[in-house]
Amino acid sequence: MNPFATLARLVDEAPRRALLLLAAFVAVLLVAPVVLDRYLLSVFFLIFWFATVGQAWNIMMGFCGQLSLGHALYVGLGGYVGALFWVKFGISPAIAIVPAMLVAVAFGAVIGWLGFRFGIEGVYFALLTIAFAEVARIGFDNWSFVGGAAGFFIPVSSAASPVNLRGGPMLFYYVALAMMIIAFILCAALRRSRLGHAWLAVREDAEAARALGIDVFRAKMAAVVISAAMTAVAGVVYAFYQNNLFPSQTFDIARSIEMILAPIIGGLGTLFGPILGAFILTPLGQTLIALVEKIAGRAIPGVNLVFYGAALMVIIWFTPNGVWPWLKKKLGIPEGRE
Amino acid sequence: MKTTTAITRRTAIAGAAATLVAPAVVKAQGQTLKIGSLLPRSGFFAQAGQSMHRGVLAAPEMLKALGYNVEFVHIDTESNADVARTQAERAINDGCHILTGAFDSGQTLAIAQVTEQRQVPFVVNVAAAPQITEQGYKFLVRNFQTGGQLVTNGLRLIKDVMDAKSIQFEKAVFLHANDTFGTAQRNAMDAIWPRVGLPIQLVEKIAYDPRAQDLSVEVAKIRSINPDLVMCVTRASDAIKMVRDMVRQRFQPKAIISPGSPGFYDEEFYQALGPLADFVLFGLPWANPKSNMTQAFEKAFVKANPNNRFAVDSFNAGFAFEGMLIAADAFKRAGTTNGPQLMEAVRATNIPEHVMIGGPIIFDAKGQNPNIGSALVQNLKRVPTVVLPKDVALAEPVLPFPAWQGRS
Repeated sequence: MNPFATLARLVDEAPRRALLLLAAFVAVLLVAPVVLDRYLLSVFFLIFWFATVGQAWNIMMGFCGQLSLGHALYVGLGGYVGALFWVKFGISPAIAIVPAMLVAVAFGAVIGWLGFRFGIEGVYFALLTIAFAEVARIGFDNWSFVGGAAGFFIPVSSAASPVNLRGGPMLFYYVALAMMIIAFILCAALRRSRLGHAWLAVREDAEAARALGIDVFRAKMAAVVISAAMTAVAGVVYAFYQNNLFPSQTFDIARSIEMILAPIIGGLGTLFGPILGAFILTPLGQTLIALVEKIAGRAIPGVNLVFYGAALMVIIWFTPNGVWPWLKKKLGIPEGRE
Repeated sequence: MKTTTAITRRTAIAGAAATLVAPAVVKAQGQTLKIGSLLPRSGFFAQAGQSMHRGVLAAPEMLKALGYNVEFVHIDTESNADVARTQAERAINDGCHILTGAFDSGQTLAIAQVTEQRQVPFVVNVAAAPQITEQGYKFLVRNFQTGGQLVTNGLRLIKDVMDAKSIQFEKAVFLHANDTFGTAQRNAMDAIWPRVGLPIQLVEKIAYDPRAQDLSVEVAKIRSINPDLVMCVTRASDAIKMVRDMVRQRFQPKAIISPGSPGFYDEEFYQALGPLADFVLFGLPWANPKSNMTQAFEKAFVKANPNNRFAVDSFNAGFAFEGMLIAADAFKRAGTTNGPQLMEAVRATNIPEHVMIGGPIIFDAKGQNPNIGSALVQNLKRVPTVVLPKDVALAEPVLPFPAWQGRS
């Protein structure tokens, strides 16, 4: 698959109006830091980051129909490998992304092999993914080489170095933006590829797909390892953003759930869903915090979370298939074209 | 005797210094320091965050009485590092000159990224990861012990209580939660126990899941070993389960001592266990009951939080207040809200009279306060009471434990 040819084909096939809107959207995001303050830059970093990991998770669940509730595993593995290479050997995260992806792919392959080889499906496969994330958490909690439960730390540095992911929120804004755009293009290309069609067939009816000659095991394995590799890249960036890794937070199931909210709210199995979901959820959380403070005159713990939960229910009530399918209809974009 | 009125070099320097400092002090008196208090008041750490927040609520009156001009912004980090980081950015955008927080090491480090880049001082009130002050942050100080210091001091206090009561423990078991804090304390225990030289045989270390329905299996295992000392690192709910299962299984050690963990002094522990909550011991940094400032702070605390007991909250509330005190004191000396200058003043802190046990609040080159002491605290009549060191103790330690049965 020639990536440039694929990209050209994607551009050719996309509706002209949608392309223009997309280009304008990206252009706005590129120049936005001129007017954004540091707080908003950090909010946008989270939006882009959740859009990226949401996109990665969407490959497994949205495209291939395999529910993973332990994607924090790949974030953690990517983060730890990237941080270890930098702290212990001085190897730049730009290079460490490769071993980070490989480690995540290896774990993904083991989970996939165990699940798909032995016919573990649906919620049982989801339990398997949770189990691996939990085992990783306990393992890292007790692995003194990476600091154990007391955490692993990346030394802070005042010198900016984009290649080494050292810098302020502006740097991370652009890194995360690039990551989100690349993830989007990759997912668009994958979805239109032969493999993408195989995933959709497997998602709809694995038996029928097998009858059509699709190697279901291979298709599912490809979804898991690609998703794991993409998530690991996001994990490396996140580790260097926070400069510390604690197993209890990195591999936490709550983290996994947080990661899958954006594609679910945005629209499962769609390309814009994870991005739209992240653009709704992260600012919603931040806005509610500020709003509650504004109305009450002080922070009332938990109130914004109650409203957050209520807002999610309202969104799901009115757009049960996600916001993007509803929006797509409103925008007049034909079915099957994003 | 000849008296001279000539201006010496020393007088001239002092005069010049006073001339330079005076406008700043006057300026500070006219200004208000805006302190952002970031605490996990919802989510996983909510209980501790709320407890610390009660200390923050009592701070304005105390600080006003001490002549400090401060304003507070209360921020909930939702026990989430991402929220902690974005809210730290927002707090500084909204004009906070200094931040304090954040109970948990992960959230504390997330905030530290922001304060370091924005050159805003950050006073860490509770967070035990040693690396917080080993990372080279220039705008961060910590007024709390590291995890290693907590365990070292906790074990030292066990030795002290053995000496004070002339009691011997022959066999000990270490029981700990397998969460982040419990595992970190276990690792610290592994490293420190051999060095402390306690004349006790540490027979077994047992990890447990703090979310387990009960601890009957773990207690049965301890019972089979029959140690006379149980050392434990717990949270509130599992501390309750542990004591309940010991009572159920009629296991009666000479003592239960925590070498540095929460659990035994949480209100729910007293509410759930009643008289069974009594006599357990824990070694922790604690409010100095004999300090004038602690006594004044207790009054302010009760006024601000009429439904809460200061004795129960004194660990969290005390450190929360001291974070505010450090900020206010530095502002008064710096005479400015300018970040780097305020930070210089924070680093030069020297507060002899304060709330928590220990020497003056000062910071070493890394920003760590080396003077924080620990106390051995025992629950007596459902009140956590300092029993060691003797100079700050309010009661004698009760050892060995009275039997579970027959308590009222």
